Amino acid sequence: MTEQEIIKLTNQVFVDSFEIEKELLKEEMNIFQDLGLDSLDIVDLVVALQEKFGVKIRNDERIKGIRTLGDIYKFIISLKAEVASAAPNSRK
Amino acid sequence: MKEALILICFNTIFYILFFIFSFLGIPLLSLFGAFQYIFISHRNAMKKFRRAISWYGLVIVKILPYPFVMVRYEDLDKTKIGGPFIFACNHRSASDPFLMACLPYEFVQVVNIWPFKLPVLGFMAKWAGYLSVREMPFESFSKKAAVLLNDGVSIVAFPEGTRSADGSLGQFHGSIFRVALQTGYPVVPVCITGNEKIPARGTLLLRPGTIKIHKLSPITYDEFRGFTPYKLKNMVRQLIADEIEVMEGKGNA
Repeated sequence: MTEQEIIKLTNQVFVDSFEIEKELLKEEMNIFQDLGLDSLDIVDLVVALQEKFGVKIRNDERIKGIRTLGDIYKFIISLKAEVASAAPNSRK
Repeated sequence: MKEALILICFNTIFYILFFIFSFLGIPLLSLFGAFQYIFISHRNAMKKFRRAISWYGLVIVKILPYPFVMVRYEDLDKTKIGGPFIFACNHRSASDPFLMACLPYEFVQVVNIWPFKLPVLGFMAKWAGYLSVREMPFESFSKKAAVLLNDGVSIVAFPEGTRSADGSLGQFHGSIFRVALQTGYPVVPVCITGNEKIPARGTLLLRPGTIKIHKLSPITYDEFRGFTPYKLKNMVRQLIADEIEVMEGKGNA
């Protein structure tokens, strides 16, 4: 999965889960102050991202530092990279 | 100089009366509430006790600061459907919870942690069943809110969570809107303007002025069925923002 695909799918999660217009989804947007998500929305977001990308992020400490949409992109990209690098090792 | 003197006199008289009325009125209200238990059911006693709290609030916001502070309440509800309701109100001043006394319904308020810690008012709020949203998980909050609504008690919430520092409408927290989606009770937007300095954030000084309260038409479950909590809270936020613009003369009536 390319970075562009990850960004596109992440944006799709925001559109599907919160009905936010695509035009509002910019990398620098603060998910709390600009997009207006609250702590309960974050729980919904985590569940939706887990389903969309097939990864476990609920107990990942890094999500506490997420503030912007760009932070989410970077987080998912790094997570997918970790999963991809761990996959060959797990086959050994 | 003259204005400053008037302001000092007004505030001195208001706070003296406020403390006298609170320290006499609240114990009397509590005794009244306790006395009711002997003769009537718990439900009816609570109804009367909550109504008495509203009378207390009305005296604080309408009588004690008069004529320096005027309160104009307008019910713009065109539907006239019956309650209970979930009221969602903007939050600019510490006077907002008192101003809710203008709503002619039996209600409890959703409060932050600190109001429960106030010496006398906190006790009264706890007894009346006010909900301290940050002291319980959402599931408990939702259950307690549903019990109250099913009992015919409306709920008043300030979904911004905290007073706005610059008067602008902050982002909304979704808890109360999740309750609306779970229970199906109508949501009523309430807008307050004119009390930004009655008192301003960080001070107790009351400035003279006219406070306007507009209660809008309820948004029924049929209108928001199937919404996400995020969509519902932003819809209500937009309705409040639009009405505030009209009230402040910046928008179209």
